[in-house]
Amino acid sequence: MSARPATGPLLDVERLGVDYGRVRALRQVSLTLEEGEMALLLGTNGAGKSSFVEALAGLVPVSGGRVHLRGADITSVPAHRRVRRGVSLVPEGRGTLPGLTVAENLDLGWRAVGGRSRGDFRQERERILRLFPALEKRVDSDCSTLSGGEMQMLAIGRALLARPSLLLLDEPSLGLAPKAIVAVHEALRTLSEEGLTMILVEQKALTIDWTPHLTCVLRHGEIIMQARDRRPTSEQLAELYLGRPSKGTT
Amino acid sequence: MIRRTIGIRDASVLGAALVAVIATLLTGSAYWTYALTLIAIYAIAAVGLNVMLGLAGQVSFAQTTFMGIGGYGAARLTATLGWDPWWGLVLPAFGAVAVAVLIGLPLFRLRGHYFAMATFALALGTNSLAVGAVLLTGGSTGIAGVPPLAIAGLSLGTPQGFLIVSWIVLALALAVFFVLSRSHIGRAWRALATSPDVAVSLGVPVLRLKLLALIVAAVMGSVAGSLYAQFSSFVAPDFINLVMIINLFLIVFIGGRGMLSGPVLGAAFVALIPQALSFLGEWQNVVFFVLLLLFMLFLPRGALGFDLSWLRPRPRDSSHPVPERTEAAR
Repeated sequence: MSARPATGPLLDVERLGVDYGRVRALRQVSLTLEEGEMALLLGTNGAGKSSFVEALAGLVPVSGGRVHLRGADITSVPAHRRVRRGVSLVPEGRGTLPGLTVAENLDLGWRAVGGRSRGDFRQERERILRLFPALEKRVDSDCSTLSGGEMQMLAIGRALLARPSLLLLDEPSLGLAPKAIVAVHEALRTLSEEGLTMILVEQKALTIDWTPHLTCVLRHGEIIMQARDRRPTSEQLAELYLGRPSKGTT
Repeated sequence: MIRRTIGIRDASVLGAALVAVIATLLTGSAYWTYALTLIAIYAIAAVGLNVMLGLAGQVSFAQTTFMGIGGYGAARLTATLGWDPWWGLVLPAFGAVAVAVLIGLPLFRLRGHYFAMATFALALGTNSLAVGAVLLTGGSTGIAGVPPLAIAGLSLGTPQGFLIVSWIVLALALAVFFVLSRSHIGRAWRALATSPDVAVSLGVPVLRLKLLALIVAAVMGSVAGSLYAQFSSFVAPDFINLVMIINLFLIVFIGGRGMLSGPVLGAAFVALIPQALSFLGEWQNVVFFVLLLLFMLFLPRGALGFDLSWLRPRPRDSSHPVPERTEAAR
Protein backbone atom coordinates (compact mmCIF):
# COMPACT_ATOMS: atom_id res chain seq x y z
CA MET A 1 0.00 0.00 0.00
CA SER A 2 1.72 3.23 1.11
CA ALA A 3 5.38 2.70 1.82
CA ARG A 4 6.88 6.18 2.03
CA PRO A 5 9.90 6.62 4.27
CA ALA A 6 8.76 7.80 7.67
CA THR A 7 10.04 11.23 8.64
CA GLY A 8 7.74 11.54 11.64
CA PRO A 9 4.45 10.02 12.67
CA LEU A 10 2.00 9.41 9.86
CA LEU A 11 -0.86 10.46 12.09
CA ASP A 12 -0.64 12.79 15.04
CA VAL A 13 -3.89 13.57 16.84
CA GLU A 14 -3.66 16.22 19.54
CA ARG A 15 -6.37 16.68 22.16
CA LEU A 16 -9.22 16.08 19.72
CA GLY A 17 -12.72 16.98 20.89
CA VAL A 18 -16.14 16.38 19.34
CA ASP A 19 -19.41 17.75 20.71
CA TYR A 20 -22.95 17.00 19.58
CA GLY A 21 -24.75 19.97 21.05
CA ARG A 22 -24.32 19.60 24.80
CA VAL A 23 -23.10 16.02 24.53
CA ARG A 24 -19.32 15.64 24.63
CA ALA A 25 -18.57 12.63 22.43
CA LEU A 26 -14.77 13.00 22.54
CA ARG A 27 -12.65 14.73 25.17
CA GLN A 28 -9.08 15.70 24.33
CA VAL A 29 -8.16 12.43 22.67
CA SER A 30 -4.52 12.18 21.57
CA LEU A 31 -2.98 9.40 19.52
CA THR A 32 0.12 8.94 17.40
CA LEU A 33 0.60 6.35 14.69
CA GLU A 34 3.77 5.65 12.76
CA GLU A 35 3.75 4.62 9.10
CA GLY A 36 2.64 1.01 8.72
CA GLU A 37 1.20 0.69 12.20
CA MET A 38 -2.19 -0.65 13.04
CA ALA A 39 -4.26 0.65 15.93
CA LEU A 40 -7.17 -1.21 17.43
CA LEU A 41 -9.75 1.04 19.06
CA LEU A 42 -11.98 -0.71 21.54
CA GLY A 43 -14.92 0.40 23.62
CA THR A 44 -18.58 -0.13 24.31
CA ASN A 45 -21.48 1.56 22.54
CA GLY A 46 -21.32 5.31 22.98
CA ALA A 47 -17.66 5.30 23.98
CA GLY A 48 -16.78 7.69 21.14
CA LYS A 49 -15.06 5.24 18.78
CA SER A 50 -17.12 6.13 15.71
CA SER A 51 -16.94 9.84 16.51
CA PHE A 52 -13.14 9.54 16.62
CA VAL A 53 -12.75 7.94 13.18
CA GLU A 54 -15.46 10.17 11.70
CA ALA A 55 -13.63 13.21 13.04
CA LEU A 56 -10.39 11.93 11.48
CA ALA A 57 -12.25 11.45 8.18
CA GLY A 58 -13.73 14.95 8.45
CA LEU A 59 -17.34 13.78 8.63
CA VAL A 60 -18.05 15.46 11.97
CA PRO A 61 -16.80 18.90 13.00
CA VAL A 62 -14.30 18.97 15.82
CA SER A 63 -14.74 21.23 18.82
CA GLY A 64 -11.05 21.35 19.63
CA GLY A 65 -7.64 19.85 18.96
CA ARG A 66 -5.63 19.21 15.80
CA VAL A 67 -5.15 16.36 13.34
CA HIS A 68 -1.83 16.13 11.49
CA LEU A 69 -1.20 13.77 8.62
CA ARG A 70 2.48 13.42 7.70
CA GLY A 71 3.10 16.69 9.50
CA ALA A 72 0.40 18.63 7.63
CA ASP A 73 -2.51 20.03 9.62
CA ILE A 74 -5.69 18.58 8.06
CA THR A 75 -8.08 19.61 10.84
CA SER A 76 -10.00 22.00 8.61
CA VAL A 77 -9.61 20.09 5.34
CA PRO A 78 -13.06 19.04 3.99
CA ALA A 79 -13.85 15.33 4.13
CA HIS A 80 -13.73 14.66 0.37
CA ARG A 81 -10.30 16.32 0.12
CA ARG A 82 -8.99 14.21 3.01
CA VAL A 83 -9.67 11.13 0.88
CA ARG A 84 -7.39 12.57 -1.79
CA ARG A 85 -4.82 13.30 0.90
CA GLY A 86 -4.88 9.61 1.85
CA VAL A 87 -7.48 9.23 4.62
CA SER A 88 -10.17 6.67 3.72
CA LEU A 89 -13.02 5.58 5.94
CA VAL A 90 -14.99 2.35 5.69
CA PRO A 91 -18.12 3.49 7.52
CA GLU A 92 -20.17 1.44 9.92
CA GLY A 93 -22.94 -0.31 7.98
CA ARG A 94 -20.66 -0.73 4.93
CA GLY A 95 -22.31 1.90 2.72
CA THR A 96 -22.44 -0.22 -0.39
CA LEU A 97 -24.75 1.27 -3.01
CA PRO A 98 -27.75 -0.82 -4.02
CA GLY A 99 -28.57 -0.60 -7.70
CA LEU A 100 -24.88 -0.55 -8.60
CA THR A 101 -22.86 -3.64 -9.36
CA VAL A 102 -19.72 -4.62 -7.47
CA ALA A 103 -17.63 -3.30 -10.38
CA GLU A 104 -19.53 0.00 -10.40
CA ASN A 105 -19.05 0.39 -6.66
CA LEU A 106 -15.34 -0.16 -7.12
CA ASP A 107 -15.28 2.24 -10.06
CA LEU A 108 -16.89 4.88 -7.87
CA GLY A 109 -14.11 4.56 -5.29
CA TRP A 110 -11.55 4.80 -8.07
CA ARG A 111 -13.07 7.80 -9.87
CA ALA A 112 -13.83 9.80 -6.75
CA VAL A 113 -10.13 10.27 -6.09
CA GLY A 114 -9.34 11.23 -9.66
CA GLY A 115 -8.68 7.79 -11.17
CA ARG A 116 -9.04 8.07 -14.95
CA SER A 117 -7.16 5.33 -16.81
CA ARG A 118 -9.29 2.23 -17.42
CA GLY A 119 -6.12 0.13 -17.60
CA ASP A 120 -5.01 1.29 -14.16
CA PHE A 121 -8.52 0.64 -12.84
CA ARG A 122 -8.49 -2.95 -14.11
CA GLN A 123 -5.09 -3.47 -12.50
CA GLU A 124 -6.25 -2.01 -9.20
CA ARG A 125 -9.47 -4.03 -9.35
CA GLU A 126 -7.48 -7.22 -9.83
CA ARG A 127 -5.46 -6.33 -6.74
CA ILE A 128 -8.66 -5.93 -4.71
CA LEU A 129 -10.14 -9.17 -6.07
CA ARG A 130 -6.96 -11.04 -5.16
CA LEU A 131 -7.37 -9.75 -1.61
CA PHE A 132 -11.07 -10.67 -1.56
CA PRO A 133 -11.50 -13.72 -3.83
CA ALA A 134 -15.12 -14.05 -2.68
CA LEU A 135 -15.94 -10.94 -4.74
CA GLU A 136 -14.45 -12.25 -7.96
CA LYS A 137 -17.53 -14.19 -9.05
CA ARG A 138 -19.83 -11.36 -8.01
CA VAL A 139 -18.23 -8.53 -10.01
CA ASP A 140 -21.28 -8.05 -12.20
CA SER A 141 -23.85 -8.66 -9.45
CA ASP A 142 -25.94 -5.90 -7.94
CA CYS A 143 -24.31 -5.31 -4.59
CA SER A 144 -27.68 -5.56 -2.83
CA THR A 145 -27.56 -9.31 -3.57
CA LEU A 146 -24.26 -9.77 -1.72
CA SER A 147 -24.00 -11.38 1.69
CA GLY A 148 -22.99 -9.23 4.66
CA GLY A 149 -19.41 -10.46 4.47
CA GLU A 150 -19.16 -9.76 0.75
CA MET A 151 -20.60 -6.29 1.26
CA GLN A 152 -17.98 -5.56 3.89
CA MET A 153 -15.23 -6.82 1.60
CA LEU A 154 -16.59 -4.58 -1.16
CA ALA A 155 -16.66 -1.56 1.17
CA ILE A 156 -13.04 -2.18 2.17
CA GLY A 157 -12.00 -2.83 -1.42
CA ARG A 158 -13.69 0.37 -2.57
CA ALA A 159 -11.84 2.36 0.09
CA LEU A 160 -8.54 0.73 -0.93
CA LEU A 161 -9.01 1.91 -4.51
CA ALA A 162 -8.34 5.41 -3.23
CA ARG A 163 -4.83 4.13 -2.33
CA PRO A 164 -5.07 5.44 1.23
CA SER A 165 -2.12 6.03 3.48
CA LEU A 166 -4.47 5.76 6.47
CA LEU A 167 -7.44 3.39 6.41
CA LEU A 168 -10.14 3.86 9.04
CA LEU A 169 -12.53 0.96 9.62
CA ASP A 170 -15.61 1.46 11.74
CA GLU A 171 -16.73 -1.89 13.16
CA PRO A 172 -16.23 -3.98 10.03
CA SER A 173 -17.30 -7.14 11.87
CA LEU A 174 -20.66 -5.72 12.96
CA GLY A 175 -23.52 -8.04 12.03
CA LEU A 176 -21.31 -10.61 10.29
CA ALA A 177 -21.31 -14.35 10.73
CA PRO A 178 -18.17 -15.77 12.42
CA LYS A 179 -16.76 -17.14 9.13
CA ALA A 180 -17.15 -13.76 7.43
CA ILE A 181 -15.49 -12.00 10.39
CA VAL A 182 -12.49 -14.33 10.05
CA ALA A 183 -12.28 -13.64 6.30
CA VAL A 184 -12.48 -9.85 6.79
CA HIS A 185 -9.95 -9.83 9.63
CA GLU A 186 -7.60 -12.06 7.65
CA ALA A 187 -7.66 -9.53 4.81
CA LEU A 188 -7.00 -6.67 7.24
CA ARG A 189 -4.08 -8.55 8.71
CA THR A 190 -2.64 -9.02 5.19
CA LEU A 191 -3.02 -5.30 4.53
CA SER A 192 -1.31 -4.47 7.80
CA GLU A 193 1.55 -6.81 6.97
CA GLU A 194 1.88 -5.10 3.61
CA GLY A 195 2.47 -1.84 5.48
CA LEU A 196 -0.89 -0.08 5.36
CA THR A 197 -1.54 2.17 8.35
CA MET A 198 -4.94 1.43 9.85
CA ILE A 199 -7.24 2.28 12.69
CA LEU A 200 -9.67 -0.53 13.34
CA VAL A 201 -12.68 0.16 15.52
CA GLU A 202 -14.24 -2.87 17.16
CA GLN A 203 -16.39 -3.67 20.15
CA LYS A 204 -15.16 -7.22 20.51
CA ALA A 205 -11.40 -7.61 20.80
CA LEU A 206 -11.62 -11.38 21.06
CA THR A 207 -12.48 -11.77 17.37
CA ILE A 208 -9.00 -10.54 16.42
CA ASP A 209 -6.35 -13.20 16.63
CA TRP A 210 -3.25 -11.05 16.17
CA THR A 211 -1.64 -8.28 18.19
CA PRO A 212 -1.94 -4.78 16.74
CA HIS A 213 0.85 -2.25 17.16
CA LEU A 214 -1.36 -0.11 19.36
CA THR A 215 -4.49 -0.97 21.29
CA CYS A 216 -6.62 1.81 22.79
CA VAL A 217 -9.72 1.55 24.95
CA LEU A 218 -12.18 4.42 24.87
CA ARG A 219 -14.79 5.14 27.49
CA HIS A 220 -17.07 8.19 27.73
CA GLY A 221 -15.08 9.91 24.98
CA GLU A 222 -11.68 9.47 26.63
CA ILE A 223 -8.83 7.06 25.99
CA ILE A 224 -8.54 5.21 29.27
CA MET A 225 -5.86 2.78 28.16
CA GLN A 226 -3.20 2.61 25.46
CA ALA A 227 -1.06 -0.50 25.06
CA ARG A 228 1.80 -0.90 22.57
CA ASP A 229 2.51 -4.30 21.04
CA ARG A 230 0.32 -6.18 23.45
CA ARG A 231 -3.37 -6.85 23.81
CA PRO A 232 -5.27 -6.39 27.01
CA THR A 233 -6.54 -9.62 28.48
CA SER A 234 -10.25 -10.34 28.50
CA GLU A 235 -10.26 -9.70 32.26
CA GLN A 236 -8.62 -6.31 31.79
CA LEU A 237 -11.10 -5.47 29.06
CA ALA A 238 -14.03 -6.47 31.22
CA GLU A 239 -12.69 -4.17 33.93
CA LEU A 240 -12.20 -1.32 31.48
CA TYR A 241 -15.56 -1.78 29.76
CA LEU A 242 -17.46 -2.05 33.01
CA GLY A 243 -15.85 1.07 34.36
CA ARG A 244 -13.60 0.00 37.19
CA PRO A 245 -10.60 2.34 37.43
CA SER A 246 -7.65 1.08 35.41
CA LYS A 247 -6.13 4.27 33.99
CA GLY A 248 -2.63 4.49 32.60
CA THR A 249 -0.53 4.00 29.53
CA THR A 250 1.56 0.92 29.12
CA MET B 1 -20.36 -4.16 -15.66
CA ILE B 2 -21.12 -0.58 -16.60
CA ARG B 3 -24.64 -0.60 -18.05
CA ARG B 4 -24.75 1.50 -21.21
CA THR B 5 -27.92 0.24 -22.83
CA ILE B 6 -31.54 1.30 -22.47
CA GLY B 7 -33.65 -1.23 -20.59
CA ILE B 8 -36.68 -2.91 -22.11
CA ARG B 9 -39.14 -0.81 -20.07
CA ASP B 10 -37.57 2.48 -21.14
CA ALA B 11 -37.33 1.31 -24.74
CA SER B 12 -41.02 0.33 -24.71
CA VAL B 13 -42.18 3.68 -23.36
CA LEU B 14 -39.96 5.73 -25.66
CA GLY B 15 -40.89 3.55 -28.64
CA ALA B 16 -44.59 3.97 -27.90
CA ALA B 17 -44.10 7.74 -27.55
CA LEU B 18 -42.32 7.89 -30.91
CA VAL B 19 -45.13 5.93 -32.56
CA ALA B 20 -47.70 8.28 -30.99
CA VAL B 21 -45.85 11.37 -32.27
CA ILE B 22 -45.50 9.95 -35.80
CA ALA B 23 -49.14 8.81 -35.87
CA THR B 24 -50.26 12.26 -34.71
CA LEU B 25 -48.18 13.97 -37.40
CA LEU B 26 -49.63 11.65 -40.03
CA THR B 27 -53.25 12.00 -38.94
CA GLY B 28 -52.99 15.69 -38.06
CA SER B 29 -55.19 15.29 -34.99
CA ALA B 30 -55.43 18.71 -33.33
CA TYR B 31 -56.17 17.25 -29.90
CA TRP B 32 -53.25 14.83 -29.92
CA THR B 33 -50.88 17.45 -31.33
CA TYR B 34 -51.75 19.73 -28.44
CA ALA B 35 -51.65 16.94 -25.83
CA LEU B 36 -48.33 15.48 -27.01
CA THR B 37 -46.68 18.92 -27.13
CA LEU B 38 -47.84 19.59 -23.59
CA ILE B 39 -46.59 16.15 -22.51
CA ALA B 40 -43.17 16.89 -24.00
CA ILE B 41 -42.92 20.27 -22.23
CA TYR B 42 -44.00 18.83 -18.88
CA ALA B 43 -41.60 15.92 -19.38
CA ILE B 44 -38.61 18.22 -20.09
CA ALA B 45 -39.17 20.03 -16.78
CA ALA B 46 -39.71 16.69 -15.03
CA VAL B 47 -36.48 15.21 -16.46
CA GLY B 48 -34.69 18.07 -14.68
CA LEU B 49 -36.52 17.26 -11.46
CA ASN B 50 -35.70 13.59 -12.01
CA VAL B 51 -31.99 14.45 -12.06
CA MET B 52 -32.35 16.18 -8.69
CA LEU B 53 -34.78 13.77 -7.07
CA GLY B 54 -34.22 10.47 -8.85
CA LEU B 55 -30.45 10.56 -9.30
CA ALA B 56 -29.03 12.92 -6.68
CA GLY B 57 -31.75 12.28 -4.09
CA GLN B 58 -32.35 16.01 -3.44
CA VAL B 59 -35.92 17.19 -2.89
CA SER B 60 -36.21 20.48 -4.75
CA PHE B 61 -39.34 22.54 -5.37
CA ALA B 62 -37.34 25.10 -7.34
CA GLN B 63 -38.27 23.63 -10.72
CA THR B 64 -41.20 26.04 -11.20
CA THR B 65 -38.86 28.93 -10.38
CA PHE B 66 -36.62 27.87 -13.24
CA MET B 67 -39.68 27.41 -15.48
CA GLY B 68 -40.74 30.95 -14.53
CA ILE B 69 -37.32 32.33 -15.45
CA GLY B 70 -37.55 30.55 -18.80
CA GLY B 71 -41.16 31.54 -19.51
CA TYR B 72 -40.95 35.18 -18.48
CA GLY B 73 -37.42 35.52 -19.87
CA ALA B 74 -38.56 34.27 -23.27
CA ALA B 75 -41.63 36.50 -23.17
CA ARG B 76 -39.75 39.69 -22.32
CA LEU B 77 -36.85 39.03 -24.71
CA THR B 78 -39.07 38.22 -27.66
CA ALA B 79 -42.48 39.86 -27.16
CA THR B 80 -41.16 43.06 -25.55
CA LEU B 81 -37.63 43.46 -26.93
CA GLY B 82 -38.24 41.74 -30.25
CA TRP B 83 -35.26 39.39 -30.04
CA ASP B 84 -35.10 36.19 -32.03
CA PRO B 85 -37.18 33.45 -30.29
CA TRP B 86 -34.10 31.17 -30.13
CA TRP B 87 -32.49 33.68 -27.76
CA GLY B 88 -35.67 33.40 -25.74
CA LEU B 89 -34.98 29.69 -25.40
CA VAL B 90 -31.25 29.94 -24.67
CA LEU B 91 -30.59 33.14 -22.67
CA PRO B 92 -33.05 32.57 -19.80
CA ALA B 93 -31.32 29.22 -19.21
CA PHE B 94 -28.17 31.14 -18.27
CA GLY B 95 -30.25 33.20 -15.85
CA ALA B 96 -31.66 30.00 -14.37
CA VAL B 97 -28.13 28.63 -13.93
CA ALA B 98 -27.09 31.84 -12.15
CA VAL B 99 -30.09 31.55 -9.81
CA ALA B 100 -29.30 27.85 -9.23
CA VAL B 101 -25.75 28.71 -8.19
CA LEU B 102 -26.94 31.61 -6.01
CA ILE B 103 -29.46 29.50 -4.11
CA GLY B 104 -27.48 26.26 -4.22
CA LEU B 105 -24.24 27.50 -2.69
CA PRO B 106 -25.76 28.62 0.62
CA LEU B 107 -28.66 26.16 0.79
CA PHE B 108 -26.74 22.96 0.03
CA ARG B 109 -24.66 23.56 3.14
CA LEU B 110 -27.84 22.93 5.13
CA ARG B 111 -28.52 19.41 6.31
CA GLY B 112 -31.80 17.54 6.54
CA HIS B 113 -34.97 18.96 5.01
CA TYR B 114 -33.90 22.60 5.05
CA PHE B 115 -32.98 22.63 1.38
CA ALA B 116 -36.41 21.26 0.42
CA MET B 117 -38.16 23.78 2.67
CA ALA B 118 -36.10 26.67 1.32
CA THR B 119 -36.85 25.74 -2.30
CA PHE B 120 -40.55 25.41 -1.46
CA ALA B 121 -40.49 28.96 -0.11
CA LEU B 122 -38.64 30.01 -3.26
CA ALA B 123 -41.27 28.41 -5.50
CA LEU B 124 -44.12 30.12 -3.66
CA GLY B 125 -42.17 33.38 -3.68
CA THR B 126 -41.59 33.15 -7.43
CA ASN B 127 -45.33 32.73 -8.01
CA SER B 128 -46.06 35.74 -5.79
CA LEU B 129 -43.41 37.73 -7.64
CA ALA B 130 -45.01 36.82 -10.95
CA VAL B 131 -48.31 38.22 -9.66
CA GLY B 132 -46.88 41.25 -7.88
CA ALA B 133 -44.04 42.49 -10.11
CA VAL B 134 -46.35 43.93 -12.74
CA LEU B 135 -43.65 45.86 -14.62
CA LEU B 136 -41.51 42.77 -14.99
CA THR B 137 -44.09 40.04 -15.45
CA GLY B 138 -47.30 41.78 -16.43
CA GLY B 139 -48.89 40.76 -13.14
CA SER B 140 -51.95 38.52 -13.12
CA THR B 141 -52.70 39.23 -16.78
CA GLY B 142 -49.22 38.09 -17.82
CA ILE B 143 -47.45 38.79 -21.11
CA ALA B 144 -49.11 38.01 -24.44
CA GLY B 145 -47.78 37.81 -27.98
CA VAL B 146 -44.80 35.54 -27.39
CA PRO B 147 -43.65 34.55 -30.90
CA PRO B 148 -42.98 30.90 -31.80
CA LEU B 149 -39.58 29.50 -32.74
CA ALA B 150 -38.37 29.76 -36.33
CA ILE B 151 -35.58 28.06 -38.29
CA ALA B 152 -33.93 30.14 -41.03
CA GLY B 153 -36.89 32.50 -41.12
CA LEU B 154 -39.34 29.61 -41.39
CA SER B 155 -41.77 29.79 -38.49
CA LEU B 156 -42.37 26.70 -36.41
CA GLY B 157 -45.56 28.30 -35.24
CA THR B 158 -47.75 25.54 -36.67
CA PRO B 159 -48.84 23.04 -34.02
CA GLN B 160 -47.10 20.23 -35.91
CA GLY B 161 -43.85 22.20 -36.14
CA PHE B 162 -43.92 22.90 -32.43
CA LEU B 163 -44.72 19.26 -31.68
CA ILE B 164 -41.57 18.21 -33.52
CA VAL B 165 -39.40 20.85 -31.83
CA SER B 166 -40.67 20.03 -28.34
CA TRP B 167 -40.03 16.29 -28.81
CA ILE B 168 -36.54 16.95 -30.20
CA VAL B 169 -35.76 19.04 -27.12
CA LEU B 170 -37.20 16.28 -24.92
CA ALA B 171 -35.02 13.72 -26.71
CA LEU B 172 -31.98 15.91 -25.96
CA ALA B 173 -32.99 16.20 -22.30
CA LEU B 174 -33.41 12.41 -22.09
CA ALA B 175 -30.03 11.90 -23.78
CA VAL B 176 -28.37 14.17 -21.19
CA PHE B 177 -30.12 12.22 -18.41
CA PHE B 178 -29.07 8.89 -19.93
CA VAL B 179 -25.41 9.86 -20.34
CA LEU B 180 -25.18 11.43 -16.88
CA SER B 181 -26.92 8.56 -15.11
CA ARG B 182 -24.52 6.02 -16.68
CA SER B 183 -21.41 8.10 -16.03
CA HIS B 184 -19.28 8.25 -12.89
CA ILE B 185 -21.16 11.46 -12.07
CA GLY B 186 -24.41 9.46 -12.04
CA ARG B 187 -22.85 6.86 -9.75
CA ALA B 188 -21.59 9.59 -7.45
CA TRP B 189 -25.13 11.07 -7.41
CA ARG B 190 -26.49 7.66 -6.41
CA ALA B 191 -23.95 7.48 -3.61
CA LEU B 192 -25.11 10.92 -2.53
CA ALA B 193 -28.76 9.82 -2.68
CA THR B 194 -28.03 6.68 -0.65
CA SER B 195 -25.92 8.37 2.01
CA PRO B 196 -24.12 11.72 1.88
CA ASP B 197 -21.67 10.45 4.51
CA VAL B 198 -20.78 7.41 2.40
CA ALA B 199 -20.39 9.64 -0.66
CA VAL B 200 -18.08 12.05 1.11
CA SER B 201 -16.06 9.21 2.66
CA LEU B 202 -15.44 8.00 -0.90
CA GLY B 203 -14.02 11.40 -1.81
CA VAL B 204 -17.11 12.60 -3.67
CA PRO B 205 -17.24 16.43 -3.66
CA VAL B 206 -20.81 16.54 -2.37
CA LEU B 207 -21.46 20.28 -2.67
CA ARG B 208 -20.16 20.41 -6.23
CA LEU B 209 -22.25 17.41 -7.27
CA LYS B 210 -25.43 18.76 -5.69
CA LEU B 211 -24.81 22.04 -7.47
CA LEU B 212 -24.28 20.26 -10.77
CA ALA B 213 -27.61 18.43 -10.37
CA LEU B 214 -29.37 21.71 -9.61
CA ILE B 215 -27.76 23.39 -12.63
CA VAL B 216 -28.90 20.58 -14.95
CA ALA B 217 -32.40 20.82 -13.44
CA ALA B 218 -32.36 24.60 -13.85
CA VAL B 219 -31.46 24.44 -17.55
CA MET B 220 -34.18 21.87 -18.25
CA GLY B 221 -36.74 23.79 -16.19
CA SER B 222 -35.93 27.04 -17.95
CA VAL B 223 -36.07 25.49 -21.43
CA ALA B 224 -39.43 23.90 -20.58
CA GLY B 225 -40.71 27.27 -19.36
CA SER B 226 -39.54 29.03 -22.52
CA LEU B 227 -41.14 26.37 -24.73
CA TYR B 228 -44.39 26.66 -22.75
CA ALA B 229 -44.49 30.44 -23.30
CA GLN B 230 -43.72 30.06 -27.01
CA PHE B 231 -46.21 27.22 -27.39
CA SER B 232 -49.09 29.09 -25.79
CA SER B 233 -47.82 32.51 -27.02
CA PHE B 234 -48.66 33.73 -23.56
CA VAL B 235 -47.28 33.52 -20.06
CA ALA B 236 -49.08 34.16 -16.75
CA PRO B 237 -48.47 33.25 -13.09
CA ASP B 238 -50.78 30.20 -13.37
CA PHE B 239 -48.15 28.11 -15.14
CA ILE B 240 -45.79 28.22 -12.16
CA ASN B 241 -48.33 27.90 -9.36
CA LEU B 242 -48.66 25.25 -6.65
CA VAL B 243 -50.57 22.94 -9.00
CA MET B 244 -47.60 22.86 -11.38
CA ILE B 245 -45.23 22.02 -8.51
CA ILE B 246 -47.50 19.14 -7.49
CA ASN B 247 -47.84 18.01 -11.10
CA LEU B 248 -44.08 17.84 -11.59
CA PHE B 249 -43.65 15.70 -8.48
CA LEU B 250 -46.55 13.48 -9.58
CA ILE B 251 -44.94 13.05 -12.98
CA VAL B 252 -41.64 11.91 -11.46
CA PHE B 253 -43.25 9.62 -8.86
CA ILE B 254 -45.78 8.10 -11.28
CA GLY B 255 -43.14 7.42 -13.93
CA GLY B 256 -40.62 6.11 -11.43
CA ARG B 257 -37.88 8.09 -9.73
CA GLY B 258 -34.55 7.80 -11.48
CA MET B 259 -36.05 6.00 -14.49
CA LEU B 260 -35.03 7.37 -17.90
CA SER B 261 -38.47 7.38 -19.50
CA GLY B 262 -40.38 7.87 -16.23
CA PRO B 263 -41.07 11.58 -16.88
CA VAL B 264 -42.55 10.78 -20.30
CA LEU B 265 -44.95 8.21 -18.85
CA GLY B 266 -45.74 10.38 -15.83
CA ALA B 267 -46.37 13.45 -17.99
CA ALA B 268 -48.72 11.42 -20.19
CA PHE B 269 -50.62 10.29 -17.09
CA VAL B 270 -50.91 13.80 -15.65
CA ALA B 271 -51.84 15.39 -18.98
CA LEU B 272 -54.22 12.75 -20.32
CA ILE B 273 -56.00 11.08 -17.38
CA PRO B 274 -57.84 14.17 -16.08
CA GLN B 275 -59.03 14.81 -19.66
CA ALA B 276 -60.12 11.21 -20.06
CA LEU B 277 -62.12 11.50 -16.84
CA SER B 278 -63.83 14.73 -17.85
CA PHE B 279 -67.10 12.84 -18.54
CA LEU B 280 -67.36 12.37 -14.76
CA GLY B 281 -68.06 16.07 -14.31
CA GLU B 282 -67.49 17.24 -10.75
CA TRP B 283 -66.32 13.75 -9.75
CA GLN B 284 -63.37 14.01 -12.13
CA ASN B 285 -60.85 15.20 -9.52
CA VAL B 286 -62.10 12.74 -6.90
CA VAL B 287 -61.63 9.77 -9.23
CA PHE B 288 -58.24 11.11 -10.38
CA PHE B 289 -56.93 11.32 -6.83
CA VAL B 290 -58.34 7.88 -5.95
CA LEU B 291 -56.46 6.54 -8.97
CA LEU B 292 -53.33 8.28 -7.73
CA LEU B 293 -53.78 6.80 -4.29
CA LEU B 294 -54.14 3.29 -5.73
CA PHE B 295 -51.11 3.95 -7.89
CA MET B 296 -48.97 4.91 -4.91
CA LEU B 297 -50.24 1.94 -2.90
CA PHE B 298 -49.61 -0.72 -5.52
CA LEU B 299 -46.78 0.83 -7.52
CA PRO B 300 -44.78 2.80 -4.96
CA ARG B 301 -41.69 2.75 -7.17
CA GLY B 302 -43.62 4.19 -10.09
CA ALA B 303 -45.12 2.67 -13.21
CA LEU B 304 -41.68 1.68 -14.50
CA GLY B 305 -40.45 0.40 -11.18
CA PHE B 306 -42.91 -2.49 -11.00
CA ASP B 307 -41.58 -5.85 -9.95
CA LEU B 308 -42.28 -8.78 -12.24
CA SER B 309 -39.96 -11.24 -10.52
CA TRP B 310 -42.95 -13.03 -8.93
CA LEU B 311 -44.03 -14.06 -12.44
CA ARG B 312 -40.83 -16.01 -13.02
CA PRO B 313 -40.84 -19.72 -12.16
CA ARG B 314 -39.17 -20.55 -8.86
CA PRO B 315 -35.93 -22.50 -9.19
CA ARG B 316 -36.40 -26.12 -8.17
CA ASP B 317 -32.99 -27.54 -8.87
CA SER B 318 -29.42 -26.41 -9.22
CA SER B 319 -29.70 -25.98 -12.98
CA HIS B 320 -31.62 -22.74 -12.43
CA PRO B 321 -29.48 -19.66 -12.01
CA VAL B 322 -29.56 -18.43 -8.45
CA PRO B 323 -27.49 -15.69 -6.86
CA GLU B 324 -24.16 -17.14 -5.88
CA ARG B 325 -22.90 -16.75 -2.35
CA THR B 326 -19.53 -18.00 -1.37
CA GLU B 327 -19.30 -19.96 1.83
CA ALA B 328 -16.46 -17.87 3.19
CA ALA B 329 -18.51 -14.73 2.98
CA ARG B 330 -21.64 -15.96 4.71
